[in-house]
Amino acid sequence: MTTSPTIYDEVRNGMLPAHIYNDAEIFERERRNLFSRAWLFVGHESEIPQPGDYVVRKVLDDSFIVVRDEKGEIRAHFNMCLHRGMQVCRAEMGNASHFRCPYHGWSYRNDGRIVGLPFHQEAYGGEEGFSRKGARLLPAPNLDTYNGLIFISMDPDAPSLPDYLGDFAFFLDFYTKQSAAGIELRGPQRWRVNANWKIGAENFAGDMYHTPQTHTSVVEIGLFREPKAEKRKDGNTYWAGNGGGTTYKLPPGTLEERLRYVGYPDDMIERMKQTWSQEQLDVIGDNGFMISAASVFPNMSLVHNWPKVEDGDDVLPFISLRTWVPISECETEVYSWFAVAADAPEEFKELSYKAYLMCFGSTGMFEQDDVENWVSLTNTAKGAMARRLLLNSRMGMLKDGSPVVEPLGDDEWAGPGVAHVGYGEYNQRHLLERWADYVEADAPEPQRPIGLGGVRLTPSAAAAAAAGDCATGDSCDAGTAAGDGAVDTEGVTA
Amino acid sequence: MTFVGAELSAESVLNRGATQARKVGPSLSFGDARHLELSRWLVEEAYTLDDQRYEDWLATIADDVHYLMPVRVTTALGAGYTTSPGMAHWDENKYSLSRRVARFLTEHAWTEDPPSRLRHYVTNVRTFETDVEGELIVDSAVLLFRSRSDTNPASILSAQREDVLRCTEDGYVLARRVIMIDESVLRTQNLAIFL
Repeated sequence: MTTSPTIYDEVRNGMLPAHIYNDAEIFERERRNLFSRAWLFVGHESEIPQPGDYVVRKVLDDSFIVVRDEKGEIRAHFNMCLHRGMQVCRAEMGNASHFRCPYHGWSYRNDGRIVGLPFHQEAYGGEEGFSRKGARLLPAPNLDTYNGLIFISMDPDAPSLPDYLGDFAFFLDFYTKQSAAGIELRGPQRWRVNANWKIGAENFAGDMYHTPQTHTSVVEIGLFREPKAEKRKDGNTYWAGNGGGTTYKLPPGTLEERLRYVGYPDDMIERMKQTWSQEQLDVIGDNGFMISAASVFPNMSLVHNWPKVEDGDDVLPFISLRTWVPISECETEVYSWFAVAADAPEEFKELSYKAYLMCFGSTGMFEQDDVENWVSLTNTAKGAMARRLLLNSRMGMLKDGSPVVEPLGDDEWAGPGVAHVGYGEYNQRHLLERWADYVEADAPEPQRPIGLGGVRLTPSAAAAAAAGDCATGDSCDAGTAAGDGAVDTEGVTA
Repeated sequence: MTFVGAELSAESVLNRGATQARKVGPSLSFGDARHLELSRWLVEEAYTLDDQRYEDWLATIADDVHYLMPVRVTTALGAGYTTSPGMAHWDENKYSLSRRVARFLTEHAWTEDPPSRLRHYVTNVRTFETDVEGELIVDSAVLLFRSRSDTNPASILSAQREDVLRCTEDGYVLARRVIMIDESVLRTQNLAIFL
């Protein structure tokens, strides 16, 4: 069937055609128009601390080797040999100075440049037939980092990562920069769920309303002190830049008392005070809100909670990062990492890890009940009736579009963006409005070639190379900080 | 890849004084009374877990238990490790296991309401003496078949377990379990079960 153009209008109106959660045609549009253009989180620098350390991560069907090269630069190489297309790396993580294709033995340095090509002279007539100079594994079209978080975009013409994240970077710092040392990640746990990828992203972005119902059991067993219905609606949901999240309202007190309330020790609090801006500190100390779950459009989520991990009254905070990697319209691979301040005390790291395992991830007691809901929703969205049902996603909005609760004023919210106290689906609507904008518009063809190897150069790239520009046509914008653009135009010497 | 439960357990930051027992010598004869008794223990446990009688299960677990299932990763031959450094699916002590069991006993653990149909198949059992008095090690292979709803495809989990069973006045109790799951990416919606 043809996708009705009104789907996107309905979504923008907060009424969601239920089949968007299980529709092969829409998934194809997401693949073509959204995941081909957006910035996607693939990992963190702390996962590859040493030269040669690598992890292999996927962007939909495309496998990338995310590696720290011998000079310490973070790179992402398309994991496909230039010759016959074999994966040059079939492990998931490790350390390598070179990647050698098992098929015919072509090998590449960990910065992507080709270094070995068996029988180069006999088989190709040497450089005449296949020029190794400048030949390399295809780089990711675009790569950048923020606080060590590594993002890839398949669009070489994508806006810069800072522009893309916008004001949400203010909130990313709460999770990923609690001190100058940044965070370290462990994991990920990976597992597949029979649910559409959007559901989790929406849930983490703004669904405070589900907490008292879905997560009743974790309150009953004393794991979590907070998510009683009364408490949850005192928090706010905020949207800023290209992401949004939820908060809890903290009891009265100073900044230090409030950070202690969620379980941070004094030395970590001291480092937060040295690291965060006054506005960031004011969100907690003055406004009394503590960040909880959040999502960055389209499919990265974060969570910060503070459960009880031992008998007694003490709570311990943890941070988790994750991506909802789409496999199909009805299947998602979850990558869930534990994150902790790199310079946190060892005992804190241990108990924070414990807190993560008890709450989120493959065994987490919060997470278990969430996924059951999302699988059920996805199953039900497949049928004919789901094409006749518009799901009401207008919570927090009156019929005329005005808000049920006015946004917090400047004296109540020191952060950027717009924040509303109480239950609402503002953030889910923000997320899906962006989704509609991307998915509805056919993505333009990228303006620049991504790269090539061997038989050199399209005419435009040849001209660029002659001008001493970016020889292989990969991203060479100034300002792509960890950028993949620095191609050694002197080529391979080995 | 062979593994030593004591080593994986010791590598975890959450190992708080759990037993460090290691295998000594070859596996016991299949006719050995201790092997027969522990084989029976594993079979009884499998039925208990199939039936989701989790309070009964918890009663067979030592207070100082370490219940560990590392995340498996695909690594090159010779890399020397096949588990994700510092990350597990379960890295449990008695307290966290008791919270998990307590949750299933509430009326609001939605993920198991309706409950899964579970079948733990236990095989390849072998028993070893250890370097700790009163503790034996039992290896087993476990296959869990988990069916939910009416037509959703069932999920299957395959793993090897290395268990330390401690002889007490009330019979054997589980003092350490290290589970080597055979998949890097789990094909089940969550681990609201036990292996």
